[in-house]
Amino acid sequence: MTSQNNFDAIVIGAGIVGATTSLALTKAGLRVLVLDRGPVAGGTTGAGEGNILVSDKEPGPELELALMSRDLWFELGDDVGDSFELEAKGGVVVSRGDDTALRDFAKRQQSAGVNAQLVDGNELRKLEPHLAPGMNSGAFYPQDSQCQPMLAAAQILKRVRERGGIVKTGTMVTKFVIVSNRVKGVETSEGIFNAPTIVNAAGTWAGEISKLAGSFLPIAPRKGFILVTAPMPQIINHKVYDSDYVANVASGEADLQTSTVVEGTRSGTILIGASRERVGFDGSMNIDVLRRLAAQATSLFPILRDVQLLRAYRGFRPYAPDHLPVIGEDSLIAGLWHSAGHEGAGIGLAPGSARLLTEQITGRSSFMDASPFSPRRFQGGSA
Amino acid sequence: MIAIVGAGPAGLSAAVAAAKLGQQVILIDSSPRLGGQYWRHLPSNWGVGRPPYFAKAQELFDEVLSNPLITRFSNAHVWQAEKKAEQFNLYVVRNGVEEIVKAEKVILATGAYDRALPFPGWDLPGVMTAGAAQSMLKSHGVLVGKKFVIAGTGPFLLPVATGLAAAGAEVVGLYEANNPLRWILNLHGLILNPSKIREGIYFLKKLRSLGIKVHYGKEIQSAVSDGVLVDGKKIECDTVAIGSGFVPELSLAGILGAKLKVGADGTVVVDVDQNQQTSIPGLYAAGESTGIGGSSLAVLEGEIAGSTRKGKRLARWRAQVFATGLQRVYPVSNKWQSALTPQTILCRCEEVSLADIHGAIDELGAQDGRSAKLFTRAGMGLCQGRVCGRNVSEIVACHLSRDLTAEERINTAQRPLAAPISLGELGDGLEKNF
Ligand SMILES: Cc1cc2nc3c(=O)[nH]c(=O)nc-3n(C[C@H](O)[C@H](O)[C@H](O)COP(=O)(O)OP(=O)(O)OC[C@H]3O[C@@H](n4cnc5c(N)ncnc54)[C@H](O)[C@@H]3O)c2cc1C
Ligand SMILES: Cc1cc2nc3c(=O)[nH]c(=O)nc-3n(C[C@H](O)[C@H](O)[C@H](O)COP(=O)(O)OP(=O)(O)OC[C@H]3O[C@@H](n4cnc5c(N)ncnc54)[C@H](O)[C@@H]3O)c2cc1C
Repeated sequence: MTSQNNFDAIVIGAGIVGATTSLALTKAGLRVLVLDRGPVAGGTTGAGEGNILVSDKEPGPELELALMSRDLWFELGDDVGDSFELEAKGGVVVSRGDDTALRDFAKRQQSAGVNAQLVDGNELRKLEPHLAPGMNSGAFYPQDSQCQPMLAAAQILKRVRERGGIVKTGTMVTKFVIVSNRVKGVETSEGIFNAPTIVNAAGTWAGEISKLAGSFLPIAPRKGFILVTAPMPQIINHKVYDSDYVANVASGEADLQTSTVVEGTRSGTILIGASRERVGFDGSMNIDVLRRLAAQATSLFPILRDVQLLRAYRGFRPYAPDHLPVIGEDSLIAGLWHSAGHEGAGIGLAPGSARLLTEQITGRSSFMDASPFSPRRFQGGSA
Repeated sequence: MIAIVGAGPAGLSAAVAAAKLGQQVILIDSSPRLGGQYWRHLPSNWGVGRPPYFAKAQELFDEVLSNPLITRFSNAHVWQAEKKAEQFNLYVVRNGVEEIVKAEKVILATGAYDRALPFPGWDLPGVMTAGAAQSMLKSHGVLVGKKFVIAGTGPFLLPVATGLAAAGAEVVGLYEANNPLRWILNLHGLILNPSKIREGIYFLKKLRSLGIKVHYGKEIQSAVSDGVLVDGKKIECDTVAIGSGFVPELSLAGILGAKLKVGADGTVVVDVDQNQQTSIPGLYAAGESTGIGGSSLAVLEGEIAGSTRKGKRLARWRAQVFATGLQRVYPVSNKWQSALTPQTILCRCEEVSLADIHGAIDELGAQDGRSAKLFTRAGMGLCQGRVCGRNVSEIVACHLSRDLTAEERINTAQRPLAAPISLGELGDGLEKNF
């Protein structure tokens, strides 16, 4: 075996999680190999939106991770350069009826360090002049941001290569090399690669990768649709959500949920997301889902009624039963680390997750308590 | 109930054939007029010098308009479709309002649109597809320029050139990339289809009488504001009409899950059996969406799809031999790629250049048309990659020194929506209980 095939760490997955993790590991001084069976960002990262949100998260470990992650995104922007449309656009949550829930939620977030500003109808209309009448209350979240996730993953991986890392696309991991419950490397469609540390950043397919390694991780797909309109002049300034979006995100119900997030993009198209369905990897078009998204978007912004829908696309969010990401070392196989299951927040949470995992891999102290994310919660070990 | 999507030669003949058997037919087309790409603009009485195909068109128009079994939906775009419990639901936006059409049998006769190959300067204002120039003339009576150059490949350029010249435009030259002498190697295609020889002679005479010079084996290298460059020589003109074959319109076939296949020339088409039935029972396809072969083949396929009559199979076979000849005589080689410069725009909607695509591959890890699109926005604009999708995929494959896989070709040919719909109409559908 040549030293060419030996690395300090192998990252499986060239999505946003694999990209940010490999850059963090590279910066920590490790020689990293990134493997993906497809192209860069060919998985869920290429099929979602680029919201980097704090507004939709309950106080708790995920919010703590999101707040750190959001700041790290802007550090990444400085490091990698303004090449992936990173923008602190701000989010506006609106309520149509009883706004008690929205207010309570915002107040609890404030005490957790989120900049959440309650606004009345007049202020709402200043933020978003085209909102439908009857929206009398809301909250403004200046920290909410966005990026173009495919470009972000690609630009970050470019940086990894510039710093000596290797990125191999079109390379499928087929088998693990394991000696006495410790990883030694992986077998792939392009040969064997060795490393004492292997990171499973395979998103929705992370369960399959764990299985290949003889372990177990309950990650399943949750389908989502996004609508894309024809380009138009900018009429929507922020990301605008319906207040029941938050309830939807935190829900575990299987059947269809839709709650609107409407936002304009730099290219002038408007993105309308997102639905949540647990239907396995069934990729078929669900016309009713599209209708619901459109109805909700036009009820927020009646001006959108005449805008043409150009395209709809779908992706599969990777989710764990408790809706928290899995970040940490496998409890059965030593040297196997997971960062997966970020569900509908993988873009937002990626840099924070990368930092948390890298701190654990390199044995440094963590910026937050990582135990709520430990794979052990599903693998029967103690955290 | 039979629903037919597309009222071109294939859809019209399918409608007539089905109605003759006593079937109820709904004939849906996005245009206000019957006829599809080629026949849409025929005047109701052509007078002298009418082209040979006119008789058939007239017969079908008359029948469709007079047969009470045929209901016409014009200005009607089928944007979405599904098959539920042995029944097809077509979601149609007619005159801006969405409605549902339910049918046990659906015939897709959605045709094709012309393929434009990029070259330096093709994004200048005076450059357009041959189909667009023709349609502006015939639908709106507008000559989009005064002095035309027609370029590309295929016999479909002939009616465009003669049509423009007959309407008073100056056609300074027709540049046909291939040499029709190649027909000598594909003579059976002509011998089996004597009407095509007559059609060819008709157009050659017309070209001569209109004084249009045809340059065989010649391609334009680039366009500038007041002309084009051919063999390093400038030819002055104000408008360039281009077309290099056709791209079948497959959105609905893809949405309904019909099997698609890649033809010998790399074109993706709907896979059909002897009766024009697709892999989905009850779903048929006819005309250019099953392979490019001209209007007479489209008529025969439509007739078979509409009636499932065996009698027309021999005639269809003959026309298919001609279609194969067309592919061989007028191939689109990869040569167009070598004329591009790094600055040449490939996606006009989003202004993505060749250098952008190469950068996405070399620096960002794009490996196929999809990732090149995600990194550059090529194909994300108004036309949704209908113009650039196939070209970009071919460039990516070529840059990575590989061939496009059948799967990639098929992916590039599919779109999740067959036509746009307004968000208002879409949302209102919730209350309509379709
Ligand atoms: C409709 C929708 C909207 C969304 N909107 C947002 C949003 O606004 N904000 C947000 O933060 N998140 C959003 N998300 C979620 C986000 O997209 C995901 O959480 C995130 O992309 C997950 O990234 P990842 O790197 O874990 O997975 P992926 O991007 O899927 O990467 C995993 C990679 O692993 C590779 N792989 C799998 N198996 C193997 C193997 N055997 N060998 C080699 N490679 C393999 C795959 O090819 C893939 O490229 C959305 C998701 C959807 C579907
Ligand atoms: C510029 C040009 C010149 C040509 N010259 C010749 C020639 O000289 N000789 C010859 O034999 N052939 C010629 N053709 C080719 C000829 O147009 C085709 O062979 C013929 O039109 C194919 O018939 P069709 O029925 O398959 O499709 P089309 O005639 O293309 O009809 C398809 C119809 O379906 C409609 N449609 C598609 N999708 C939808 C939807 N989702 N909802 C509603 N309606 C939809 C379209 O609007 C269109 O009207 C030419 C074509 C062009 C563009």
